[in-house]
Order: sequence, then structure tokens, then C-alpha cells
Amino acid sequence: MRAARRSSNSSGASHSRAWLKQQAGDVRPWYRGAVGCGLLAGVATLVQMGALAWLVDRVVTDQAALEDVAVGVVAIVAAIIVRALAQWGQEVCGQECGLRVKQQVRSRLLARLQQLGPVRLASRHSAGLASQLVDQVESLEGYYSRFLPQMVLAAAIPLIYLVVVFWLNWLAAIWLLIAAPLIPLFMALIGMGAQRLNEAQFQAVTRLSGHFLDRVRGIATLQLFGLAERSVEEVSEVAHDYRRRSLKTLRVAFLSSAVLEFFAAVSVAVIAIYIGFGLLGYIQYGPAEQLDLFSGLFILLLAPEFFQPLRTLSQHYHDRASALGAAEGLVALLDDEVENPDAAATTGAVDDERSRSMDSDAVELAPGAVRLVDVELRHAGRERILGPLALDVDAGEVVALIGPSGSGKSSLLQLIAGFIAPSAGAVHVQREPAIAWLDQRPLIIQGSLAENLRLVAPTARDEELRHALNQAGLGRWLSSTPAELDTPLGERGVGLSGGEAQRLALARVFLSPATLVLLDEPTAALDPETERAVIAGLTQLAASGRTLIIATHHPAIMTMASRLYAIEAGRLSPIERLNSPGELHS
Amino acid sequence: MNALMALRPWIGVLSERRGRLLLGALLMLATLFSALGLLSLSGWFITATAVAALSASGYLDVFTPGGGIRLFAVSRTASRYLERLYNHDTILRLLADLRGRVFAGLVALDARTLSRVRASQWLNRMTADIDTLDNLYLRLLAPPLVALVSVVAFALFAFVFLPAAGIVLLAILLPLGVFATAGCAWWGWHASHRRVERQERLRVRAIEQVEGLAELTSYRALAAHRELWVREEQGLVEDQRRLGRRTAAGNLVVTLGIQLATLAVLLLGLTALREGQMSGPAMVMLALGTLAVSEGLGNLPMAFTQLGATVRAAERLNAQAELKTPLSGTPVEDEPSSSSGAAPALVYRDVSVMHGERAVFSGLDLAIDPGQRIGIIGASGIGKSTLAQLAVRAFDPQGGCVEFNHQAIAGLDPDSLRARIGYLTQRSELFHDTLAANLRMGDPDASDTELWDVLERVELKEWAETLPEGLATWVGEQGRQLSGGQARRIALARVMLRNSPLVILDEPLSGLDADTTAAVKVMLDVWLAGRTVLLLGHDRLALPACDHCWRLMPGEQGSELV
Repeated sequence: MRAARRSSNSSGASHSRAWLKQQAGDVRPWYRGAVGCGLLAGVATLVQMGALAWLVDRVVTDQAALEDVAVGVVAIVAAIIVRALAQWGQEVCGQECGLRVKQQVRSRLLARLQQLGPVRLASRHSAGLASQLVDQVESLEGYYSRFLPQMVLAAAIPLIYLVVVFWLNWLAAIWLLIAAPLIPLFMALIGMGAQRLNEAQFQAVTRLSGHFLDRVRGIATLQLFGLAERSVEEVSEVAHDYRRRSLKTLRVAFLSSAVLEFFAAVSVAVIAIYIGFGLLGYIQYGPAEQLDLFSGLFILLLAPEFFQPLRTLSQHYHDRASALGAAEGLVALLDDEVENPDAAATTGAVDDERSRSMDSDAVELAPGAVRLVDVELRHAGRERILGPLALDVDAGEVVALIGPSGSGKSSLLQLIAGFIAPSAGAVHVQREPAIAWLDQRPLIIQGSLAENLRLVAPTARDEELRHALNQAGLGRWLSSTPAELDTPLGERGVGLSGGEAQRLALARVFLSPATLVLLDEPTAALDPETERAVIAGLTQLAASGRTLIIATHHPAIMTMASRLYAIEAGRLSPIERLNSPGELHS
Repeated sequence: MNALMALRPWIGVLSERRGRLLLGALLMLATLFSALGLLSLSGWFITATAVAALSASGYLDVFTPGGGIRLFAVSRTASRYLERLYNHDTILRLLADLRGRVFAGLVALDARTLSRVRASQWLNRMTADIDTLDNLYLRLLAPPLVALVSVVAFALFAFVFLPAAGIVLLAILLPLGVFATAGCAWWGWHASHRRVERQERLRVRAIEQVEGLAELTSYRALAAHRELWVREEQGLVEDQRRLGRRTAAGNLVVTLGIQLATLAVLLLGLTALREGQMSGPAMVMLALGTLAVSEGLGNLPMAFTQLGATVRAAERLNAQAELKTPLSGTPVEDEPSSSSGAAPALVYRDVSVMHGERAVFSGLDLAIDPGQRIGIIGASGIGKSTLAQLAVRAFDPQGGCVEFNHQAIAGLDPDSLRARIGYLTQRSELFHDTLAANLRMGDPDASDTELWDVLERVELKEWAETLPEGLATWVGEQGRQLSGGQARRIALARVMLRNSPLVILDEPLSGLDADTTAAVKVMLDVWLAGRTVLLLGHDRLALPACDHCWRLMPGEQGSELV
């Protein structure tokens, strides 16, 4: 996989570039605004410098009175104001580009995650995905707000100045023109330098963080072995080692920008000396004789401005590099299915299923009932995971699924929930308004207890929340917390134990309008006491007339069930029991 | 102002390298002065030649200024290159210092706090905070100083030619500098200070969305949760927009100030010129110099509107370092009658431990005689590992005491205590280092033969012999992928190398297959003989043979031994 990715590296990079460009499509007005403002600032600078040169020339050469040159002063002030405002406009428009692209990419990523569904996301690291959604998207901003507009400005503004200088004195323009064909070369140089710099730094920082994280993670062990002190030295020693290594790269990488600096500085020097000698009449050829203080000073003032946009671009080059780096990961996430042909079977499963469940209305299935007809589930090119199997569950039944891990219990529940679509056969379930889902790791969102419950019933009143908590066996816990329903949960709030979290999930089931409840090993991670409480809750759920389909190993839950099925190698077989299900409900 | 105190310890770290910082700032200054010299001398030169051409004599010494211009052109390039290289070197040095400092702070923390550290998110956040502080010098400390020095120096220079120009320069540029630093910092404070937290909350919402997708989808609650996400994102974007606009406005004010200062100096010069107090070339030189010297102010608004975020990073790292003071105590005294190698007694007397609101133990008693082998059985999370952590003084209990060889552990120096205990933790914590280095953590002086010997005892010798690099093979997170059983046995071998009189083994056989389990059990039985041993496991079968076995059960107030 890694080798394959490396071989397609260049096409991957161009793909990321194309994707980055494509994202700019929807923010074009703001982008144009940024470029327009940048051009305006460039022209205002031109006017300002021209007026300044004119003013000096008039006063020094013609001994003009200040009143005579007032128009020049006014022009300078006006140009300064326009320049400052245009710069402000460029920044604001550019930032708007960046912000909008970020929001747009984020919403696209979120939609993508939902489309992939819980089954396909299970193999991914949630913290990694979150960092893609937040941090990597964040690193796109500079590319749109600074780099892209500056790309145009770095080409256009020097050209404008060159034309003006040419008009003033073609020989001076030649000096700049010598640099002009070099501009693409500069850009390439800057690009190579900045890229190498970025790669080197990125590599060093990644390795360094890797080492640092490794040692921090193991601090407890280091303490046990009495090695903590020594490790402190080691951590900074490793950092110094990386410093020495990355400096070697930096020495070369900084050279490219030094070349640009050198050209900019030397051009100013050459032009100043040429103009000075020309004014003194030492230069007899070319247009030197037409030079006067106005044109000389004007050209001198424009020379540094000629190179400024390029220098700015080189400063923003790292924005491009980090955006490209982020884009690679984001593109991979957004068109995952290209990489993985299996995905075709599961992508968009939920939507497919919704239409299928419309069909099921024709079957006239009662809410809470489930009917599977000749269902098969297989991944493309691989063995069958499930089926063919058939299952009929009436509303209000409790069905337990038993089987070793990997036998397909979870897949069956996921099929019923609609997270994946069957490869053959039909799943008839009424999925509106909701299906209740409960697995080993209930979702606790950061927010109050009430917010956590209202996720599944947005309009529920406080009394209903309390009632549901009581039914789930959290009544006592609730009355022991001072903030009651406003108790903050999640990372910064009160930590719930595994059992409490599971009972909170149970309260959600009681609260939701769902009549079908799917449970994937609900008691697997619990201690015996909590286990009893959760099972009591489940019994209540069943008594309330809801349909329960439970994948479980737990004997007590099996006894509770009205029907038992064993799953082995994807096949479903009913298990006969000696005692009749009727007396088990008690 | 108080808020800035958070940066103080970090500025302290920086100041240990004040020589380098000073030299780096001087190089920045040299770059700025070269640019200043190049532009103002060129302006002077052109005007002087024009004036000379108009005058009767038409003579001017062109070689001195010409040479000066060339010199400045070269020195600007050279000083810029050197400055970048030198300052990047400094930053990397600071990075090493800062990490060392943070790590030293973390090393002093107790086991409970450290268990939180494990969360990779927390770690990543901390790394990001350190990275933010790496840039403290280059973004926030050096640039304003360089700007201040250059503005004052140039104003003095201007004062020599035209006192009014010098005064006007100071009158405009100094307040402008205060605005670009303190003003922008104050202006962007709230938005940048909370930006990090906002981003963090957005990350939490993203994780919820991913981890809870099954529930959210089936309950049809995706839209409801999406709304929470959108609210956070909106808040973040609004803050960023506000910061961006304020930075842009700050830049606008700075540009206006710089350009108007240039114009003011020019107009003053023109007046002085007409009154014959000043020459034309000098006037142009001062005006262009003002333009060049002000460049130092240009990047300040951008850096300082973000000051809040830097301070926030420092605050979080400070909070980390202050979490707990390290435990201290006197070294363990060995009984006169015995050497340090003799098996000690380990006694828990009326021990109570609270985990937040929850009681883990209240009034727990347990005595292990010298040389006795005790097993503790119980479900995960019941408090077995807490027993072990108390023995190594990872933290002190809220009530009662633990005694090592009749000395209360709470009064003992942790390092001296831990040197006498071999503790195999529940997780096999291997480091990204060589196999040999991982093993030698147990005994730094162990010879290769001893390492091979212990590998043989844990049934890993054959495997290690197949490795092309043998003991020099890299293991750990980014190293060679080890199976859980292999990692477990390396961790066990490491503990065995310690050869300590008290041994605590937490689930020593987890992850091993049946054959290996049997072999390692037999080996341990021999090796443990004559040592005081505490064995922890979820099941009696998962432990080597022991003299007596207790079961930890959930009770009314915390877990109880049965």
C-alpha cells in the first residue's frame, strides 16, 4: 500500500493541486476582490512614488515654493490613503476566501463521514479523523487567503512597474528586465528551496515529536526503573541531534531566498549608480542624457517595489506547502471508494435503505417488526459474511443472537439498522422515526446531561428526561448530583463510569420514540453489579412492548429472550430450549 | 498585564541563551540597517548628482557613495542569510530546551496525573503548545526590540541634520510602535486567547460525530448533533474573522502612519531646504530612510493580535508543570541484620484510596511476609493496579499506610524505594529504541550474555536469534511490530533483570499462548523463589502458583479482599 502510494506520488501531488484549485471555485468573487485590491494598492504605490519624485524634483531643481507643489502633496496623501485601504481590502477579501473554503470543505467532509457510515469508519482512528476535520482543514487557509492572490500580484505588479520604468528610461528598464526573465527562475528556486525547507522541517519535527511522545507515554515506566532523570537529558540531546541534522538542509534551502535578496539589492545599487553617473553626464550613450532628478528618483523608488511582491510570495510559500500536505490526506478521505472497490457495496447504504424501507411499507410491516428475506452479505471478491438467511421478528419480541466473535452477529444488526446494504435479498424494517441502537461504547457528548438525552428526543420535557433516567436505573445517581439535569458530561465534565454511561444510553432508548431496539453486546464491558442493573433495564424495555434484538453472550439476557438464534459462519439457526419462554419473563 | 505573567517562566528559559538571542537580534538589526543604508544612500546619491549637474562646478566624489551603495547591497544579502540561518539554529536550540523543560516537569508528576497524559489527544495538544512557544522569540520578542532600536537610532541620526525631523519621527513612530504591539495585542486578546479552546471543542465534536455515528444515524439524530458542530464552527470562524479584520485594520493604521511620517519628514526637509538649513540630498536621504526604517514595524500587528493564543499555550503548560510537587522522603534503610538483597515484608494497614468521588478502598488490610507469594484476583478496574501503585509510591493513600520492611512508604524517597522493587505493569511499555536498550532499563550494566540469558528464560531467545540485527533491533511504537505476547515477555525480562527482592507482577501472562504460558509459569516459579511477591490477575489460572490467593470484590465502600 505504502509502496503503491509512493510510486503514484507525483500523480497524487498533481491531484491534490487540482483539488486545491477546484475549491477556489466557489469563492471566486472574494478572490477577485483580493487580487483587485492588491493591484489597486500597487497602482497607488506607483502614484505615490511618482508624486514624491516630482515634488522633490520641483523643489530641488526649480526651487519651487511649497505652495506651488501643494497638488503633489495632495496626490501623495490621497495615494497613501488609497494604498492603505486597498491593502486592508486585500487582506479582508483574502481571509474571507480562506474562511469560506474551510467551512465548505468541512461540511463536505462531514457529509462524507456520514455517507461512509459507522461500519466503514470503525477501522479508522477517530482522533485522526478529527484532526483532519479541524487541523488539516485549518492549514488550508493561508493558501487561499495569501498565496493564491499573491501569485497573480507577483506577476502583474512588477510588469506594471516595468512598463513605467521603460517609459521613463529604457536602459534602466533593461536592468530590471534582466531580472524579469529570471522571475520564473526565482519562483522555481523559491519553490524548491521552500519545499525542501518544509520537508526537512516537517520530517525533523515529526521525528522529534515521535520521540518526545514515546518518552512521555512511558514516563511511568521510566520512573519505576529510576531512569526519569536520565531521560530528561536524553530528550534534549535528541532534539539537539535533530537540530544539527536539519541545519545542514537549511544552509542550502536559505540560499535560494538569498539569491532573490541579492538580485533585489544589487538591482537597486546598479540603478542608483547608473542614474547618478547619468545625471553627472558620465554616461554618453543611450537615454542617459534625458535623465533628470524626477525620473531618476522615480526609478530608484520603484526598484525595491519591483521586487517586493516576489519577496512577499516567497514568504507565503509555506502556506502552499502546508495546504498541499493537508490536501493529500483530505482528498484521500473524500474519494476513498476509488482506492477501495469494496466500498461500492456499502457506500450510501443508508440512503438506499431508506428507499427500500419505503417498499417495506407496501409489505405492511408493523412498527418494530423486522423481516429479512434471503439476505446475503458479502464483500466484493471475498467470502460471504452472512446468509443466505431469513428472519421474521414480530413487534414486541425479544430475540437473542448468540455466536463466537466474528460470526456475523454485529453485521446482522448493522444490516437491520441500515448501516450496510445486503448484497442480495431484502431487509424490511420501518426505520422512521428512529431505531434505538446500543453498543458497548455509548456516545457521551460534551454538554449537559439533558443535552445528552435530548439528542434523541429534542422536544422532551424535563419530567420525561427524569422518568427515562429512573427507568434506566439512574434515578439515585441523578438525585445525588447537585446540578441534576444540568450536570456537565464529557471530557471536561463529570466522568461517568462505564456502567453509568451504559445506563445513560439505556435512558435514551426509553426516551426515544423508537420501537425497535438493536443491542450489540450491551453488557460485555460491565462489572457484575452494573450488569444486573442494565439487564433489569432491558427487561423493562421488553415489558414496554418494544422489540429487542440483542447480540449477547450473557446467560441472563438469553433467558430473557423469547427466541434464541445461533449464528455460525453467517448462518442462522434457532436454538430450542427446554423451558418455555413464557415463564422466563418473570 | 497580569496575563502576561504566564510567559515569565518561558522567557526565563529563553534568557538562558541570551548571548545567542542578542546576536540574532543584532543580525536582524544589521539587515534592517543595510536596507536603510542602501535606499537612503541611493536617494542621497541621485539627488547629489542632480544638484552637482546643475551647479557650475559639476563635480562630485562619486566613488565613496558608490562604494557605500555596493557595500550595503552585499551586506543586506549576507546579513539576511546569516540572520535566517542563525536564528533558525537558535529556535531549534530553544525547542530542545523547552522540550527538556516540559519533560522534566512531567517526570515529576504522579501516576494518576500521568494516566491522563496517556491520552494521545492531550499529548498532541501539549506538543502544539510547545511549538507555539518555540516562536516566542522570533515573532514577539526580537521584532519589536529591533524596531525600537532602529527607530530611535534613525531619529537621532535625523536629529543631527534636522532636529525637527528627529522629533517628528519619534512622535509618530513610537506611538505607532506601541499601537502595533500593545494595542494590537489588547485588541485581539479575547478572540485569540479563546481560539485554541474553540478549536479543541470543535475537535471534540468531530470525535463525537465519528465515534457516535452508529447511534446518531439510527436515532436519526445526525442533524441535531450537526447543529452543535455548526455552532462551534461558527464561533471559531467568527473569532478568526474578527482577528483577521483587526490584523488588517492594524496593518492599515501602521501603513498610514509610516507613509505619513515619510511625508512629514519630506515636507519638513523641503521647508528647511528652502530656508537653506539643509541640503537637497540630505532631505531625500532622510525621507527614504524613514520609509526603510519603518519596515521593521510592518509585521508587528500580525504577530501581536495573536499574542493571546501564545499566552494561552503558556498558561496550559504552566498548569501542567504546577500540577503536583514531586514526592520526597528519606532513602530506604536496610535492616542491619540483612543485606539489601533480602526479601522484605510488604504491609497495607487500614488503607483508604479515593478516586475522585469514588472510594477504591476504605480500610483495606493486607500483609505479605518476607518471601511470601500472594495472589490478588479481581475484575478489571477493581483496584488491583492501585495496590501495586501504592507499593511503589506512585501516589500516597488518603488514609492508612503502606509499609515496606516496617518503614512507612509515605516517608521514603520514591527512587530509593523503587530501586528495590521489580514491578511489571499491566501495559507492556516498550520504548522506541533497540531491544538491548529496552532490556537494559532493568539493569544498565547487564552484559550481552546476561541479556541473551534472560531472553532464553522468557522463551524469546530463538525468536531474537532470527532477527537480522539481533539485540540491536529497534522495537517500540515505530519499530518492529511485536506481538502482544512478545512485548509482554520483553517487559517481563526487563523486570527480571532488576533482580529485586520484592516483585509485583500485574497480569504477567496476558497475551501468551497456552504452550508459552505453561513454560513461563514454570520458569517464574523457580525465579520467584526467595523473593516477596505480589501477583495480580483476573483469574487464578492466569497467575503462577502462589502461597495464598485473595479475591478483590466490589463492596459497599470500595473493593474488599475476600
